[in-house]
Amino acid sequence: MSDSKTTLQSPARSVPLFSISRVWTLAISTLTQLIRMKTFYFLFAFAVLLLVIGNFNFASSPAQALSTIKKVSFGAMDLFAWLFAIVATALLIPRDIEDRTLYTILSKPVRRIEYLLGKLGGVLIVIGISLSVMFLVCAGMIQWQEMGYIADEVSASPNGISDETRQAILLIEKNGFHSDLAVAALASFMKAAVVASVTILLSTFASSSLFTIIVSVLVFLVGHAHTMATNFWLAETDNNMVVQMLLKLFKIIIPNFQIFSFSEGIVQGAALVPALIWQMTGLTGAYLVVFLLLSLLTFVDKEF
Amino acid sequence: MKALFQKSPRWLLVLVGLAIFGIVRAPFEEHTRKKLVDSHLLLPPPAQDAIQQMSQSALMGTLGGLRTLVSSYLVLEAFEHFSNKEWEELRSAYAIVTSLEPRDENHWRDVVWHLGINATANMQLDETIPEFERKRRFNEYALLAVELAEQGIAQNPDSAVIRQQLAEVYREKLKDDCATARVYQDLVGLPEAPQYAERFAGYFLAKCPGHEQEAYDHLLRLYYEGEHNHVASLIITIKDLEKQLEIPRSLRITEPYPDLPGLTQP
Repeated sequence: MSDSKTTLQSPARSVPLFSISRVWTLAISTLTQLIRMKTFYFLFAFAVLLLVIGNFNFASSPAQALSTIKKVSFGAMDLFAWLFAIVATALLIPRDIEDRTLYTILSKPVRRIEYLLGKLGGVLIVIGISLSVMFLVCAGMIQWQEMGYIADEVSASPNGISDETRQAILLIEKNGFHSDLAVAALASFMKAAVVASVTILLSTFASSSLFTIIVSVLVFLVGHAHTMATNFWLAETDNNMVVQMLLKLFKIIIPNFQIFSFSEGIVQGAALVPALIWQMTGLTGAYLVVFLLLSLLTFVDKEF
Repeated sequence: MKALFQKSPRWLLVLVGLAIFGIVRAPFEEHTRKKLVDSHLLLPPPAQDAIQQMSQSALMGTLGGLRTLVSSYLVLEAFEHFSNKEWEELRSAYAIVTSLEPRDENHWRDVVWHLGINATANMQLDETIPEFERKRRFNEYALLAVELAEQGIAQNPDSAVIRQQLAEVYREKLKDDCATARVYQDLVGLPEAPQYAERFAGYFLAKCPGHEQEAYDHLLRLYYEGEHNHVASLIITIKDLEKQLEIPRSLRITEPYPDLPGLTQP
């Protein structure tokens, strides 16, 4: 009988099924990765665009000038958000494979859903920061222009403010900055979030980033023309039964991105309907959950 | 179930998942889309004829959710046409712009201003064009401006700026006092209507043959509404109408004829 003592190892700590802190760590590392790709340089281009539009003397009235600044800047914000969502999301997984970071991450107790969620979270944080900065720059520009136009109107009537001047000031204020515009930026964020979730699903299937980008852009364009295309085809084919069936299938499979374009209405001065904004937030959440789960379905036992 | 899950190709499962989600979300999305359009938060799809007129790049931009950018670019293009006095091109550019953003009253106001005021002024002055052609085009642009203003008002029923621009076309170019009065009267009560609209409706109604009594009643009501309406032009018009309508002296307003430089008391 040997009296040598055997030392028992303490049992391995159980790993929780899901950890927010792991997702957060992955999201922050994705954010760092994207910052290193110099993505925020786009903000300089945006600032230059705003300066050019702000000093372009083509509008027939101050109201028209302010309206144009708002439209161009919010249009550029929207464009940046969805384009960035596609490109950044499409690049992330292939780059992790190429750098072999993916193997290091997945060899640790990290669930694949956490990995996908972390990646998506990182992209959404970058989009959120960019949209916030662009919104602040845009708000500053609009308010600066608005104050300038109002000062011009006031100085043009030295004998007190007349009815006409008051009318002109009201029109300038109507087309100027208002806090609802923050919801327009939020609408662009929602659209970008849905686009990113669609792209992450495609990237779990795809063999290359280029393929993912091209297909995602196509899905986005087609999804944007939902109503326009269905109306057009139905009119062209005289409500043909087969076309109607195909259109139903098309509507079911392709996300409707057009309804996420409600920032355009807000920029044009439409009054906010809080119930609708909440509905759209809920819909965005549903898209994120469903597309992440579908991505997991492909990604869960994918061999690298 | 687990075996079926493992055996089925993943793309098929994803498609089934997409279809189930699609069936659930489609009615909700359609309902939300209608509500968004009704509340003016979402723009309705552009009209068929606008799509046909658009260049490929503009159409792609519109499809890609860049309607506001495309329309802003077209407004810039229209401004260039205005600078070059290319009225037909300007008209085509605005046909697309107003179709892309029918609820932006600024676009309607601008196209009415360009065609109704600028293009007609150009036709009055441009001696390189034969006179009969200038007259024909003057009428064409003025009437087109009126038609566009009416389309704009149909899209934006509460718009004061389109009506103000329309009134200017009737007043300055078509010299139609009755129509001018009608447009100013339409302005009254609108959320952004100028305060002078009600007075102006009276002034132009006074010049509209057969409506003098109506104009007199209208202006007198404004006069008795308060001191703020006792402006020189209102008093002069009432006094002129009193003479024209032979109102008894006892019923006439007591205010003296305003002493304005250059104005000779009749």
